[in-house]
Amino acid sequence: MNKRLRFVIVVTAWLAVAALPLAHAETVLHVFAGGPQQRTDLTRKMFDEYEKRNPGVKVTLESGGATSELQRQYLSTVLGAKDSTLDVLILDIINPAQYYAAGWIEPLDQYLGVKDAKSYMSQYLPAYATADVIDGKIVALPDFADSMFLYYRKDLLDKYGVKPPTTWDDLATVSQKIQQGEKRPNLQGLSFQGAPIEGAVCTFLLPYWSQGKDYQAGIKLDKPAAVRGLDMWLGMVDKGVAKKNIAEVKTGDTVNEFMAGDVIFAINWGFAWDLFQTDPHTKVKGAVGVAKLPAMRGGQSATCIGGWQWSVSAFSKNKAEAAKLVKFLSSPEVSKYLAVNGSLLPVYANVYSDKDVLKANPWYGLALPVVESAKSRPVTSRYAEVSDVVRTQTSAALARVNKPEATVDEIDSRLSRVMR
Amino acid sequence: MSSPAPTLDVRTSQPRLRLVDRIADPSERVLALLLLAPAALFLGLIVVYPIARLIYNSFFDLRMSGGQSAPFVAFENYALALTDKIFWNALWNTVLVTIITVIGALLVGLGLALLANLPYRIRWPVRLALLLPWAMPLAFAGLIFAWFFNTDYGVINDWVTRLGFTPLQWLLQPGTAFAAVCIAIIWKSSSFIGLILLAGLQMIPRSLYEAAEVDGATRFQQFREVTLPLLVPSIVVALIFRTITALQTFDIPYTMTKGGPAHATETLAMLIHSTTIDYGDIGYGSTLAVLMFIVSMAVTAVYLRRLQRD
Repeated sequence: MNKRLRFVIVVTAWLAVAALPLAHAETVLHVFAGGPQQRTDLTRKMFDEYEKRNPGVKVTLESGGATSELQRQYLSTVLGAKDSTLDVLILDIINPAQYYAAGWIEPLDQYLGVKDAKSYMSQYLPAYATADVIDGKIVALPDFADSMFLYYRKDLLDKYGVKPPTTWDDLATVSQKIQQGEKRPNLQGLSFQGAPIEGAVCTFLLPYWSQGKDYQAGIKLDKPAAVRGLDMWLGMVDKGVAKKNIAEVKTGDTVNEFMAGDVIFAINWGFAWDLFQTDPHTKVKGAVGVAKLPAMRGGQSATCIGGWQWSVSAFSKNKAEAAKLVKFLSSPEVSKYLAVNGSLLPVYANVYSDKDVLKANPWYGLALPVVESAKSRPVTSRYAEVSDVVRTQTSAALARVNKPEATVDEIDSRLSRVMR
Repeated sequence: MSSPAPTLDVRTSQPRLRLVDRIADPSERVLALLLLAPAALFLGLIVVYPIARLIYNSFFDLRMSGGQSAPFVAFENYALALTDKIFWNALWNTVLVTIITVIGALLVGLGLALLANLPYRIRWPVRLALLLPWAMPLAFAGLIFAWFFNTDYGVINDWVTRLGFTPLQWLLQPGTAFAAVCIAIIWKSSSFIGLILLAGLQMIPRSLYEAAEVDGATRFQQFREVTLPLLVPSIVVALIFRTITALQTFDIPYTMTKGGPAHATETLAMLIHSTTIDYGDIGYGSTLAVLMFIVSMAVTAVYLRRLQRD
């Protein structure tokens, strides 16, 4: 064989192999679907359903990030590098503003054929319509709603003849009564998140909002109110209601400890209900009640709005297909599926009263008004900074490293430029 | 092809070659330059360009969330860094961690190396035990130690309780969190130092010990007069590696405490990471990185001078 012929054969073979991917006319969408609290197992089932209905599209699921801020850090790296490996992303409710400002997510209006963003988004709960529309453009569509509730041991409260508390003081009294009655040394009265995770921002803001205050760009932090909030949490520790190392407790820890039967009252998100009922390790099935969060003395019950959204990466190579998938994932059908199978709160008001949904989650009757009145953490393009300062300082205050007054001063001074 | 007539250079009596001839038929010097060029280019791309870019970025207010605008702010970022108590805290933590873990790892590593150097019948289990901590990824070591020091479920508090003391909230108090991080780092890095020192120990000829014993030296005197002086080169090598790595401490405190209770265990590398990756503040992050670079250079210079003197 002469040299020329050999050269031609090698080049042709190389080109043929290189062109092989093109011969595959299938679209593959890569989705970052979050961590265990976003129920990636249910998401996978939704993807299987989508693949069935849309032959020629394959959806791969990537999961990661045990907590919200870890996911944010991961996505910052991928999107900051303008990497096109991810097509669809799941975002915590606080992230769309920052991600859109950084140019990382793609507005969906043209792909959805929407002219008026406001009227399109009016089908969803108002909080998500606000979070997902930036500069008049739809940048994400809601996956499931979330807010924080007070889970309690119905069986223990009935045993001692007490009703679910409506104020934090009440909760402490009820808790102490039950703890003294049960005489179990490791029975916690109240479990909440004190670790420096995203949820700690809510821990800081819950009693603050309960006093009727708000914390957004342009609104000054009411320091005495914030101090009273931190004092309330520390009071729970002093009274033996919350454990001393509460600054180590993450969302998953509260869930696990409540599930093991070691906690009377737990503050957690909507997804926990399903785990308490269906997880193979649960010891509290059928003994769980759900209530609104208690209020501060003289205040109103207030809760943190959470929830997750789907958006399309600005660097995706399959934006139209990705937008179609996102539209499917935020449809009423998927919302009902997630509510029935994972107690993930729906983003459509009418799904709350669907009878299948109510059968699986009898407490959804009280859930809808709670979600509708839930308050939003500061909406700012520099939220990562706000979150970092508030959660690390709050955790340090709960670990008694700094006094509440010093903590609040530190938060205020460090965020004064961001929250201007 | 006829060779060109060389022109006469009036300054020297050597005939001047044309450029074509220099490359086609190079002298040794030109050949050396040509062969080094690709490597130099590669190095420039991988080392010089990122550092230059880093210094360039530090003069701008460049943020991920800022969209396309990146105003030039000259030395404002540096002024901010030098007046930022979080920066000084991180710098102090880094220096403290370096001093504690370098000395600690050296002492523990020396002990391990001496133990490993004893005449065992089967040597490989000892070598393996010495090698394993070093082979484990830093992040794993950090997560494992985070569980060890967990207040409720940790092994350390289990022992403490069994011995009759009250368990501590290790990772929640600044002092104990810092100690826990140092313990984890010393555990991890002493095996590396132990390996280097073991190699050094093996090079010391047995005859010296035998001679010392004949002269009536005790084991301790043998250690002081024979082992230590001959081990000094290995110790210096180990110290250099360990110090440079210690200045970059990130993985273990990050996975153990995420910066600990209110920045108590936050090192410079962690601060740069959170500023750049978490906040997306590239300008300020670059400034911090440049400052860390200066600190590293200063420390390296000290060691280099020491080496040159030898």
